[in-house]
Amino acid sequence: MTTYIIRRLLLVPVILFGVTILIFGMLQFLDPVERVSMYIRDTPKSDAQIEALITKYGLDKPIYVQYWKWLVGDVDPITNVRSGGILFGDFGYSRTNSQPVADLIKNRFPNTLDLTLWAIGPVIFVGIWLGIQAAVRHNKPFDQMARIFSIIGTSLPTFVFGLLVLMLFYANLGWFPPGRVSDEFSKIISSAEFTNYTKLLSIDSLLNGRFDIFLDVMKHMVLPILTLSYISWATFLRVTRSSMLETLRMEYVTTARAKGLSERDVIHKHARPNAMLPVTTLAGFSIVGLLGGVVITETVFNYPGIGATAARSAAQLDVITVLGFTLFTGLILVVSNVIVDVLYAFIDPRVRLS
Amino acid sequence: MSNYLLDVQGLETTFKTPDGVLHAVNGVSFGLKEGETLGVVGESGCGKSVTMLSVLGLIPSPPGEIKAGKAMFFGHDLVKMTNAEIRQVRGAQIGMVFQDPMTSLNPVLTIGRQLEEPLMLHVGMNKKQASERAAELLEMVGIPNAKDRLSDYPHQFSGGMRQRVMIAMALSCSPQLLIADEPTTALDVTIQAQIMDLVKRLRNELGMAIIWISHDLGVVAGLAQRVIVMYGGLIIEEASVNDLYANPTHPYTIGLLGSLPRVDAKERTKLYSIEGSPPVLYNKPTACPFAPRCKWAMERCWKENPALETVSPEHRVACWVDTKTGRAR
Repeated sequence: MTTYIIRRLLLVPVILFGVTILIFGMLQFLDPVERVSMYIRDTPKSDAQIEALITKYGLDKPIYVQYWKWLVGDVDPITNVRSGGILFGDFGYSRTNSQPVADLIKNRFPNTLDLTLWAIGPVIFVGIWLGIQAAVRHNKPFDQMARIFSIIGTSLPTFVFGLLVLMLFYANLGWFPPGRVSDEFSKIISSAEFTNYTKLLSIDSLLNGRFDIFLDVMKHMVLPILTLSYISWATFLRVTRSSMLETLRMEYVTTARAKGLSERDVIHKHARPNAMLPVTTLAGFSIVGLLGGVVITETVFNYPGIGATAARSAAQLDVITVLGFTLFTGLILVVSNVIVDVLYAFIDPRVRLS
Repeated sequence: MSNYLLDVQGLETTFKTPDGVLHAVNGVSFGLKEGETLGVVGESGCGKSVTMLSVLGLIPSPPGEIKAGKAMFFGHDLVKMTNAEIRQVRGAQIGMVFQDPMTSLNPVLTIGRQLEEPLMLHVGMNKKQASERAAELLEMVGIPNAKDRLSDYPHQFSGGMRQRVMIAMALSCSPQLLIADEPTTALDVTIQAQIMDLVKRLRNELGMAIIWISHDLGVVAGLAQRVIVMYGGLIIEEASVNDLYANPTHPYTIGLLGSLPRVDAKERTKLYSIEGSPPVLYNKPTACPFAPRCKWAMERCWKENPALETVSPEHRVACWVDTKTGRAR
């Protein structure tokens, strides 16, 4: 078990190295003039000026030199101050947001994390529960309904479903507004009397004893969570259902029945743990997906998470910001996959002990 | 009132399939005395397993359905029992061992946990007692370091060891009857012999009755006192083991025995094989199901299905032809 985890952890730097190469490689599709143009606000007076900028930022150097500089940055020989270098957390400056990309991530990621925390339950567990119920009632009305529901869920695009619920619950009924928090509270939150303990608004509002802010925050998250849930229920339902159906046909399930166990114990103690193995992988990917920012859902509901921010930056051709977010998402992805692998080992003894 | 431990009468089981209703068991009757070992032989697909699964109510329903018949066990009809009632019988009074030990143990639960389950359920032991008993059971079936191995998982056991675990599990609540569904088929020959020795020893120690399903007449010969031969969901011959091997009467039984390699055979004799394969019955057979493969088949065989008839004491056969003379009976 320990060697398994160590082996997985040793792979992390290797994969991350690959991620940086890939991201840096994509940047090379732009020629130096295009890259330097991102930093020029006024029309340059001559080609020489552009050339000077290219030389200044070292964009004419060989690729590996540029890559190294991207990784570790530059140390000013006089002041000894380091500038740049993604290894030191400097992802560059976001032109469209007028702040360093690292700060932007620091501001926006808690919002995404907050949404993820509240969404995990409805997104994953409800779908799994539905899948198990459908499998146990194979070909009965519940199963048929679940399948229809799942087909609609898979075929309905997020932005369509999102806009539909927004129309119904915000425009018509006025129950759940888009955004992060109501204006009246957003002033309080940024004021000194509100302490940011975790930067997760839902938790901080409770810690500050402001139940009214908590309710408001939750109200803003209902529709994004509903949208994310409905779309993923379809997937979880299908995967859980088919995995469970397959497991219920296994011989050890007959063995369990032949031992005289009740159907309930057969399903929940013998079949379900086995059926959960493929679902765990899917759940891992889902959580990773949520953490990486759900671009469309966040955009539809104007939710200031990293997904919506990255999408907006991309629309404004802010390459530096997009690269920073891509790198950050890659980091989350790699780390979460390690966590999923370790979890997998916990539930499957064959992985754990091999 | 019969003096049988298990008395099965006219059992019929069907399965609904997309191609039609499959008649897997078509009126099987047999009795089993206390402590007796009954061998059930026949090719794959002739209804051996389905018969036994029907008796225990383990046919998946739907698509399976028991159409008719009864299975009396201690004066109660297993077929008519409710789920809750038959659960009290399964594992407690009738233990079952399956064919493939690689798939019949749950891969994510420890051996100990799987052994303790029936003990806690049927005997009412607590976790600690059950765990101690589980270790004893493992020792009984010849697994060394039994106590330490309780926390192991099935994949840490070899096939033979797993089948030992399955046997320990089936016998954990001291059942009166052990149903073994081809328990040695998936094992190699040396392990087969070990498992059979183990079962013989346990039979002597515990005195339970055994129904041993196999397609291997050699395996059955070494273990059973009485044998029934099944074909097309029917019993076509029933005899004591010695009688059956000395005087096989049904053409199918003769074919099965002829297909066994014999140590005392002359050199370079070809092994006999029965042409064709068992029928897939979408209708209840109205003719002899073996007729298409039978070299003795007469006109009557294609029209009427023979019933079991006594040919000598304790020897019954369902055939229109007297295979000794080749003429109608």
